[in-house]
Amino acid sequence: MSALPLDAAANTDLDAGRPSRPGRRLPYFLRRPGGLFGAVWLAFVVLASLTAPWWIPYGVAEQDLSNRLALPSADHWLGTDPLGRDLLSRIFSAGAEPLLGAGITVLVAFGIGLTMALIAAERGPRVERVSSRLAEVLLALPSTILLLAVIGAIGVRIFIVMAVLGVMISAAVYRVMLGVAKSVRQRLYVDAARVNGLSSLRVNLVHVLPSMGTVVAVQAAQLYGISLLIVAGLAFLGFGPAEPQPSWGFMIQDASSYVFSNPWLLVPTGVVLALTVVAANELADAIASRGSVARTTVRRRRPPARVGATATAGARPADPGAVLDVRDLHISVDDGPALVTGVSFALQPGRVLGLVGESGCGKTMTARSLMGLLPDGVSVSGGSIRWQGRELVGLSQEDLSAVRGREIAMISQEPMVALDPMFSVVYQLTQPIRRFRGVGRREARQIAAQLLRQVGIVDGERVLKSYPHQLSGGMAQRVCIALALTGEPRLLIADEPTTALDVTVQAEILSLLRALVRDTGLSVVIVSHDLGVVADICDDVAVMYAGTVVEDGTAAAVLDEPAHPYTQALLAANPHVADGEPVPTRLASIDGTVPPPGEWPTGCRFASRCLFAQEQCTQPFPSVPAHGSGSVLCTRVEELSRADVTWTSAPTTGPAGHETAPAATQPAPTVGVSR
Amino acid sequence: MLAYVARRLAMAVGTVLAAVLISFLLVHATDTSPGAVRLGPGGTPERIAAENEALGWNDPLYVQFFDYLGGFLQGDLGTSLVNGGSIAADLADRVPVTAFIALFATILSGIIGVALGVTAAVRGGRVGQLITTGAGVALSLPVFWVGIILVYLLAIQAGLLPATGYVAFAADPAGWFRSLTLPVLALTIGGAAIIARTANAGMREALAQEHIRTLRAMGTPEWRVRYVHALRFASVPVVSVLGIQFIALFGGSVIIENLFALPGLGQAGQAAAASSDFPALVGVVVVATVVVVVINLLLDLVVAVLDPKVRTA
Ligand code: SF4
Repeated sequence: MSALPLDAAANTDLDAGRPSRPGRRLPYFLRRPGGLFGAVWLAFVVLASLTAPWWIPYGVAEQDLSNRLALPSADHWLGTDPLGRDLLSRIFSAGAEPLLGAGITVLVAFGIGLTMALIAAERGPRVERVSSRLAEVLLALPSTILLLAVIGAIGVRIFIVMAVLGVMISAAVYRVMLGVAKSVRQRLYVDAARVNGLSSLRVNLVHVLPSMGTVVAVQAAQLYGISLLIVAGLAFLGFGPAEPQPSWGFMIQDASSYVFSNPWLLVPTGVVLALTVVAANELADAIASRGSVARTTVRRRRPPARVGATATAGARPADPGAVLDVRDLHISVDDGPALVTGVSFALQPGRVLGLVGESGCGKTMTARSLMGLLPDGVSVSGGSIRWQGRELVGLSQEDLSAVRGREIAMISQEPMVALDPMFSVVYQLTQPIRRFRGVGRREARQIAAQLLRQVGIVDGERVLKSYPHQLSGGMAQRVCIALALTGEPRLLIADEPTTALDVTVQAEILSLLRALVRDTGLSVVIVSHDLGVVADICDDVAVMYAGTVVEDGTAAAVLDEPAHPYTQALLAANPHVADGEPVPTRLASIDGTVPPPGEWPTGCRFASRCLFAQEQCTQPFPSVPAHGSGSVLCTRVEELSRADVTWTSAPTTGPAGHETAPAATQPAPTVGVSR
Repeated sequence: MLAYVARRLAMAVGTVLAAVLISFLLVHATDTSPGAVRLGPGGTPERIAAENEALGWNDPLYVQFFDYLGGFLQGDLGTSLVNGGSIAADLADRVPVTAFIALFATILSGIIGVALGVTAAVRGGRVGQLITTGAGVALSLPVFWVGIILVYLLAIQAGLLPATGYVAFAADPAGWFRSLTLPVLALTIGGAAIIARTANAGMREALAQEHIRTLRAMGTPEWRVRYVHALRFASVPVVSVLGIQFIALFGGSVIIENLFALPGLGQAGQAAAASSDFPALVGVVVVATVVVVVINLLLDLVVAVLDPKVRTA
C-alpha cells in the first residue's frame, strides 16, 4: 500500500476563500481534463455501484459453468470468472463496500484530525504541544499491521476496520491541517472577527474553515484514493466479504491464480479499481491547481526580444559618455500586458542612479531586465540596453552569464533569503571567487576574508564559518554585498537594499555603498520607494509611475524643484527628506493606487490620482526636457509652473487653482481618507 | 542538540510502549479467547476456561501488560497459540526478508524517482507534464495488481524471473536476488512515483527561491545552480519522504509478501490475523513498530546532517 503522501500537497495555495466568479462556468477544477475525468468517473462508479442491485444483468452468484473464464461477449460484456459468473455484475456489486468504507475512513480522519487541528490552532502552543506529540506517536505506528491486529481481534467487520484506519490517519490529517489552520488564523481577519466578539466556534466555522476549503478538499480526495487501495488490499488478503459475495481485492486475488492461462481476468477489476483511485488523485491535483495554472502553461523559452524597437516620441538620442544606456525599454508579460514602456535613462561611470516610485511601477522589472533576470513568462519586448557599448537585449542566457557577476552584480531586497541556506558563507564566497579570479582554495579564502573586511565585518572568521540563518539581516546584507564584489563588477544593481532592514542598519548599509562608490568607482543603480534613500545616496534619479519614467534629472534638481505632480506628491508624502537622514516613512499617503498593468489609461497614467488632471491629460503627449539633461512627462507642467501651483499648495478638497476644473471622467480625490 | 536527541529517544520509547499498549488492548477487545483459539473447534467450554486460566488471560489487565513488557525487554514475545513455537525466533527470521524488500524498493524508488522528478522540474513543458501525469497514475495503481501484471510480463511472457517463492540467501545468493526482484519492482513503481512528485515539487520550489536568483545573478553555471544548489535544497523533503516511504513499504509489505509467497513479517501478520493468534499479532505489531521507530531515528539523523538549520541549532 502506498505511503500517505499527504504532506506533499501541504503547500497548496491557501487563497481559497474567495468566491468563484459568477456566471454559469464550471468550477475551476472541472475545467482541467484531469479534474473533469476524476469527477465524472467517481460519480459514475459511485452511482453505478450503489444502484447495482437494480440494473446488473446477472446475480452475483449466478454460475454459468459452460461459459467459464469467457472473454467479453455480447452476453457478458466484461467476460466471466472461473465459475462462469458475470464480471460486470460482480464488479459493480462489489463497489459499494470499498467506496463507502473509504468514505468512512476519510470522514473519521477529518472529523478527528481537522477538529484537533482547529482546537490546537485556537488554544495555542500548550495544547498544540500535547496533541502534536500524540499525533507523532500515532504516525509512527505501522498502520497496515495494526489493521491486521484489529481484524485478528474483532474479525472482518470492514466498516469498523476502516473507521480505525481513519483514527490512525487522522494524525497525518492533523499535521497538515494544523499548519494550514495556523497560517489562516495569522491573517488579520480572524483577529478582527474575534475583536468583533464572535464566539470561537463561529470564528472557526465562518472564517477559518472556508479558507481551508481547498486544502481540505485536496487532502480528502487523496486520502479517499489511499483508503480505497487499503480496503481492496485487505480484501485481496482475504479480509473482505465472504464468497460468493464479490470484492475487488479478492477478485484480483482470484485472477492471480489464473494469470498463466487467462490473463484477461485481471483486466476488468484491476482497471475499474485503478481508474477509481486515479480519478480521486486527479481530482485532488485539479483542486490543488488553483493559482498555479499559469505556471504550467508559460514556459521558460522566451521569444527573442525585438531589438531596437522604433523609438517613440520622447526617446532621447544615445548618450556617448554613459556606461549604461537604456533606450525606450519595453517589458511585457508574454502574450499579456506591458509592464514597462518606453523607459530611458543613462548612467555615467561612478555615479549612482535611483529608480523611485511606489511598488507596482515597474522599477524592479526594469532593474532585473538589466541583467536578463526577468521572471519566467516576462521578457523585454522592445528597446535597448547598452552596457559599455554592448547590446544586452537579445543576448542568450549563456552570453549574459558571462556579464553577470563579472561586470554587473546585484544585491537584493531580502538579504535573509538571498543566500543559500544549505551552504556556509565561506563556500558561497569562495566558489565565485575561484571562478572569477582563477585562484586556488586557500587564496580564495583569503580574498573572501578581505572582502568581508571591506564591507565592514570585523569578525570575518566567525562569519565565514556561519550559515545564513545564523546571520542578522544587516550582516547578511553585508555578506551579499561582499558576494556581489567577488567578480569586481563595474555596475551594482541594488533592489531596495535597505527596505527589509532596521532603520539604524539602513544607514550603515547606505554609507557602506557610498564608500564603495567613492573607493572603487563603481556605478550603482538603486531601486527604492524611499525618497530618503535617494536623497542620501543618489546623483541622478528617475521617478517611475505605472511602467514609465515620469521625471528624471539630477537628484538635487528633481528633489529640490520637482516638476511632475507625482514627484511632488511623493515628496509631500515623505516630508522629512533632508540632510541625508534615511526616512523609513512609506509612501502611503497619496490617495488611490497605481493602476495595474493592462489597465493604464491613454494619456497620463497618473491622471486618476492627480490633483491637476484635466481633459487634455487623457490625450497622449510627449515628455519635455527639464532639469538640464532630464525630462518631465506632464502635459500641464509649463502651465502649472507658470501659475506656481504645487501639490502641497493645491487645495486638498479639489483641483488646484480657481480656473482648473476636474476632468469629467475623474472623481475628485479625497485627500486624507485612508483606505 | 543533546536535549533534541533526548527528546527523540523519549518519543521513540513512548511510541513502542504505545504500540504494545494499543495492540494489547485490541487483543483483549476480542469476543473469543486464546484458549478457544489454541484448542480449536474441539475445545469444550471447561477446557477452554482452564486453558485461559493457565495462559493468564483472566489476570487483571495491568498484570498481563507488565508481564508482557517484562518478557519483551528480555526479548521474549511469548509462544504462538497455533503451533506453540517461539514468536521471537520466528519473527527474527522474518524481519530481514521484509527489511530487504523495503530497503531495496526504497533505494530504487529514490534513484528513479529523483531522476524523473528533477527532470520534470528542470525540463518542464511536455516532458514535465508527461512525467507528472505518469507519476500520478503510477501511484494510484494497486500494488497487488501491478505485481500480478509484472509476473505476467516478466515471469510468464518473458520468462526472466521466477514468478513467486523465496530462496534463502544462504542457500543461493543469486536465486535470493532473483526471488526478490519482482516484489521489489512491484513496490518501486508506486514508490518511485511518490518520490518523483516530491522531487519535482521540491526542485520547483528550490528553483523559485531568492537565493537561486542570487546565484544566477552571479553568473553561476546553470548545472551548478540546478544540481548543486537547487538539488541540495530539495534533498531535505525528498529524504523525509524516502523515510516515510520505507516505513510504508515495511508496514505495507503484507500484500506483496502474500502475492509472492515471501516469508516476511507481513505474511506472519496476515496468518496471525486470520487465525486469531493473539500473542503473534501483538509480537508482529511490536516488532514492526520497533523497526519503524529505529528508521525514524536514523532519518532524523540524516536530516540533521543535511540541513544546517537543524544541525547548528
Ligand atoms: S497634470 Fe495631467 S499630465 Fe500632469 S500629471 Fe496630472 S494628470 Fe498627468
